[in-house]
Amino acid sequence: MIAVMVMLIAPTLAGGLSLVVHRSSLLHAINLASMGALVASEIMITRTVLSEGPVTALGQFVYLDALSAFILVIIGAVGLACSFYMRSYMDEQVARGVIAPTRLNLFFFLFHMFVLAMVIATVANSVGVQWVAIEATTLATTFLIAFWRRRESLEAGWKYLILCSVGISLALFGVVLTYYSSLHVLGDVSQALNLTQLLPVADRLNPHVLKLAFIFILVGYGTKVGLVPMHSWLPDAYTEAPAPVVAMLAGVLEVVAVYAVLRMRMIVDHAVPSTFTGGLLALLGFASFVTAAFFILIQHNYKRLFAYSSIEHMGIAMIGFGVGGTLGTFGGLFHLLNHAFAKSLAFFAAGNIHRRFHTVEIGHVQGLVIAQPWTAMALMISGLALSALPPFASFASEMQVITALAAQGVPGMWLSSTGGMMTVTLSDQFSRVGLAAVFLLSAVLAFGGLIYRMTGMVWGTPPEGVARGEIWTLGHLPIILLAVALVGFGFFLPPPIRQLLEQATSILLLD
Amino acid sequence: MPILSQIGSQLIDLCSALLLLTCFAIVAQRRLSACVDLFALQSVFLVVTAALVAYLTGNHHIYIAAALTGVIKVVIIPRVLKKVIERLNVKRELVMNVNVPAGLLICGGLVMLAFFIAQPIIPLGNILTRDSLAIALAIVLIGLFTMIARQKAVTQLVGFLVMENGLFLGATAATHGMPLIVELGVFFDVLIAALIAGIYTNRLQDAFDSVDTSHLTVLKE
Amino acid sequence: MLQSVLLLVAQTTILLAVSPLLVGLIRKVKARLQLRRGAPVLQPYADLVKLFRKQPVISTATSWIFTATPYVVFASTLSAGLLVPTFTSQTPMNFAGNIIAIVYLFALGTFFLILAGLDAGSAFGGMGSSREAIVASLTEPAMMLSIFAIALTAGSTNLSTVVHKTALMEGIVTDPSPHLMALAALFIVALAETGRMPVDNPATHLELTMIHEGMVLEYSGRYLALIEWAAGLKLAVFLSLIANVFAPWGIATTVAPAAMGIGLLVYVVKIAVLAVSIGVIECMFAKLRLFRVTDLLGVAFILALLGLLFFYILRS
Repeated sequence: MIAVMVMLIAPTLAGGLSLVVHRSSLLHAINLASMGALVASEIMITRTVLSEGPVTALGQFVYLDALSAFILVIIGAVGLACSFYMRSYMDEQVARGVIAPTRLNLFFFLFHMFVLAMVIATVANSVGVQWVAIEATTLATTFLIAFWRRRESLEAGWKYLILCSVGISLALFGVVLTYYSSLHVLGDVSQALNLTQLLPVADRLNPHVLKLAFIFILVGYGTKVGLVPMHSWLPDAYTEAPAPVVAMLAGVLEVVAVYAVLRMRMIVDHAVPSTFTGGLLALLGFASFVTAAFFILIQHNYKRLFAYSSIEHMGIAMIGFGVGGTLGTFGGLFHLLNHAFAKSLAFFAAGNIHRRFHTVEIGHVQGLVIAQPWTAMALMISGLALSALPPFASFASEMQVITALAAQGVPGMWLSSTGGMMTVTLSDQFSRVGLAAVFLLSAVLAFGGLIYRMTGMVWGTPPEGVARGEIWTLGHLPIILLAVALVGFGFFLPPPIRQLLEQATSILLLD
Repeated sequence: MPILSQIGSQLIDLCSALLLLTCFAIVAQRRLSACVDLFALQSVFLVVTAALVAYLTGNHHIYIAAALTGVIKVVIIPRVLKKVIERLNVKRELVMNVNVPAGLLICGGLVMLAFFIAQPIIPLGNILTRDSLAIALAIVLIGLFTMIARQKAVTQLVGFLVMENGLFLGATAATHGMPLIVELGVFFDVLIAALIAGIYTNRLQDAFDSVDTSHLTVLKE
Repeated sequence: MLQSVLLLVAQTTILLAVSPLLVGLIRKVKARLQLRRGAPVLQPYADLVKLFRKQPVISTATSWIFTATPYVVFASTLSAGLLVPTFTSQTPMNFAGNIIAIVYLFALGTFFLILAGLDAGSAFGGMGSSREAIVASLTEPAMMLSIFAIALTAGSTNLSTVVHKTALMEGIVTDPSPHLMALAALFIVALAETGRMPVDNPATHLELTMIHEGMVLEYSGRYLALIEWAAGLKLAVFLSLIANVFAPWGIATTVAPAAMGIGLLVYVVKIAVLAVSIGVIECMFAKLRLFRVTDLLGVAFILALLGLLFFYILRS
């Protein structure tokens, strides 16, 4: 299919060109063109998938259904926004002499490789190729994270490289186990890792092997998502990397990793009762949510604050998927979208603040509304959205998750292992009401922490020596668009997106 | 030919056991260059195992994987690592988080854990490679342990590469190799990862004047 | 009856004859690797003859232990040697549990040697004895465990049964993993017990670095000859143990003279190869400092433990 070819060729071409072109305006133009092509092909793919259902292309190499189309939409939207933002951000960094102009080539090359790897991970039919692509994203982003070459950046980049590589190696073991189980059913076929082959026969696969494989894959890809307790690379990496890179990491890469976990879940749920995977997802989701909420309270570095907020929201999405059912799954998927928009908006704002105030301390930033009005608006909107306040879209998605939680509870996998009627009833009751209470409490903590810091930064008077006023540049366009989207989706979800979400939900629920 | 396959499975088990033995040797080592040499030796055993599996099962694309392993893990990566060690002028691990006998005991425990986890899966395997999946998991866990227990960046990298070796053993012996494109992708990734880590250690050395990762404690909380 | 007496005499003769040869072979290999010409391979025989003819000088500060030890060490080592199959899988002393007896016969010899080192009251003797005690206490569990691993795999604690069974399996060893671990452990133990590098340097002149040599510093004349011979015997016994338990093919399983002849030849070749490999290993590694020796022996212990574990796991 042409759209798929465009989607794969555009970043490759852009990456290759980025290595040889020297004028920065040309580099940016190539970037925007590549992202534009990506978005255009995604729109075409979405239309195809909505009308025809799951599609394979490129000779069984590519598999597209509503779920992958949805993820592609997120990649495209956030990627395009980042590309616009980079226009002013990177130019200013070069102008201020933070990086040499020649390093821009490397930056864009790595960026395009990153995007290419994420696209491949989303559309690949074979679980093994997906693994290769996700590992490639780790390799591509390592130097992006350490781009400023400060001591802290190197430390963050090294931690990221080691932890994510270790995690992904464990995920590879999960893939090997999946292949092992599928070989017994499908025979020694080179396509035994393809989703198109696996899904039809998934109910015949060995449940023990699949359980083990899912655990390894969850731990492995969960490291990339940033689930507790594999999250320790995340706050450091998000603090040290350049703002557009972080926006991509937080918004898109985590979503792609979640997608990989969900695909595995689809396979496993055919053979093992979905309470197993649901319980595990919810367990990690809760651990992430609660831990991150506490950490948010004590932050005094605004980038780190947003990093922990990422962990928190990924936890919420995981809880949504873990609870399951139409509402929970829809809420989880929708939350991924909203979080991607809100988090990239937040990091755009953070990048702008850093450019003006030259500090990452929350206490040193005040009076943003006077110094940088557009950024202040961005910050407030993203802060409100991340705290899941109405009328933002994230309010809707979180409401869906907690409603599902309160209504169905988490299949008490780990609670009812002791057996007995009393324990089962108790755990059912507990899991519904108690966990919902824990959820709300953590949400309140996160809300408090975020809003308190936000308002502290936005209102007041700016410190001495900080320039006032903000000139409108192309880099502010994505801020407006994302803000509009965040508010708009809370009121009205455009039909294509709604249809994508509904179809993706039904795919995940194995209808 | 049942006799041939029996001898073959014995040989494969022998090679897997040798792989495990080299893992222990790596954990017991203090000298960095010895660690790298042991890793190269382990990769040689891995190549032999892969070639055996290829010969006994008739899957010829495993030969390609074995050849790639030989080139990348026996020649290229150890050379890169040796260069890194020379440039950094670090010879030995002076302080270890876990001392050698305790580390070895923990590794023994990890082997037991790996066999325990792989218990339900082993009976499913064919006669050729019964224990290799469990040994592969054990090697992965031991590699993980090495990364945690050591402080020098180079040893952590060797631990990661040992993990990859274990994964390759699992993929080859238990599943007779993954689809070729996946194998190629995995090799590519490992190579790039090793190169990147090599570059990284150089940068770390420049920035911190040491590759002792216990100095990487600036970022906290 | 006559057969077992003949076997007893034959094995004793062979062991006594072969052990100085092994020592000479190792020294020759080391010399060649160090680009020296080295003493002739038969030199240890000449040394023994010379020592037996000399008059021993004994310190007046010693007790009866000092004069008794060489005989005890020689006798215990030779007895241990009679429990190990050499050229035939039938040992002269064939009873269940003789695997364990070997370990403790060696321990008996070591114990008396330690006491003798302390007996003369010299500082170097005391140092050697305390170090030997450390090494011996660490090698014993490793040796026991690796021997147990072997015994369990073969299903008997009678060494000749073990070797007999393995030799008859026509080249297929079941489950190489436990055997491999046990072999590695036993090899390290052999290096430690016989006082070879990297645990102890048998050719050192520096008393501060001696372990075995430190203990026997005071001995002279026929006592020294007996102790040197016993050291060679210990080496021969360990090498026979390793060779015949892990690779017994070629050993004589019947009493036919042809089989015996082949068995003898194969035996000599096997322990010669092992001796050469020990010589090579001695040249490859430097002597470990004493507190690193514990690390090495810890490795041996873990390997033996793992061999045992593998046996249980693989059996179930």
